[in-house]
Amino acid sequence: MNVRIKAFARFREIIGAENTLDLEEGSSVLGALKSLSERSKDFRDACFDIDGTIASHVVLMINGKRISGSDRETVVLHDGDELAIFPPVAGG
Amino acid sequence: MLSQNELERYGRQMMLFGENGQEKLKSARVVIAGAGGLGCPAATYLAVAGIGHLRIIDHDTVERSNLNRQILHWDKDIGVSKTSSAGEKLMAINPDIEIEVVRVTLDEETAPDLVSDADAIVDAMDNYPTRYLLNHLACKFGIPLFHGAIRGFDGQATTIIPGKTACLSCIFPKAPPKEIFPVIGVTPGIIGMIQANEVLKYFLGIGDQLGNRLIIWDGLRSVLETIQVERDPSCTECSHITSNPLEKVK
Repeated sequence: MNVRIKAFARFREIIGAENTLDLEEGSSVLGALKSLSERSKDFRDACFDIDGTIASHVVLMINGKRISGSDRETVVLHDGDELAIFPPVAGG
Repeated sequence: MLSQNELERYGRQMMLFGENGQEKLKSARVVIAGAGGLGCPAATYLAVAGIGHLRIIDHDTVERSNLNRQILHWDKDIGVSKTSSAGEKLMAINPDIEIEVVRVTLDEETAPDLVSDADAIVDAMDNYPTRYLLNHLACKFGIPLFHGAIRGFDGQATTIIPGKTACLSCIFPKAPPKEIFPVIGVTPGIIGMIQANEVLKYFLGIGDQLGNRLIIWDGLRSVLETIQVERDPSCTECSHITSNPLEKVK
């Protein structure tokens, strides 16, 4: 199945604004982000904590709807979904 | 009551919202937390619009490396406090308003007294710990908080009305890692003006506020996108607030 990845800010700098991932049916958000990590060490460093969990400050959305809470890594993606990843910016 | 000078100064914008609207701006007291990249444009446009009382808070001194973006500070101001530098320019821009400058580090001891009497707080900080402190006080005192943040060509902004919209902790439960961020002046210029625009609409009671919406500016692609956000029922800062005490202002 194909899932579109829409990246903002720092993530966009690393992987570009939009990517399409060819994933196995039933893949999770975590699976999609790990797939991107295999392409880019910078992405892995920006997206994941040292323990391999998705960094807590990273905002994730599927089809424009925010996913949050402890189960956000396990949410299953579907063909045609758009997964958006956004790191809050901090500067002023 | 507006003076003759004020009637002339604000004539073109009173075509939009009348003398009554201008009086609302004149009676407003706004805290601008930070006189840096965001604070400079936000303060400038709130000053020229006629916000009656601006309180500018910052602890820093102007450095040469600030000058690519902090437009109220000029080469001659290097070594001067940012509050002094900003205050001088803002008073020159609009002598018909009150400018108060406070050179202090915003922390748990200093911040409560500096924001508790405000009608609005502009979050023009450069770090999340102080942003969370402002959010905490905004929720505690029921004061709207106008958030903005930037990095490079990217920016974000939202409007927080305690008890009515998602607060900063609802939207960003965890702070991003601290870093020395790259920045070009146009980005805080754009975001700071969005914050100022939100403040003006709030006092005028016109348009739609950025409540429960986070806008994301991508300056490299010239795209402005909106993320819907919502209150977190378990938020430690705002979940206990059931109504917005400032609703009566509008």
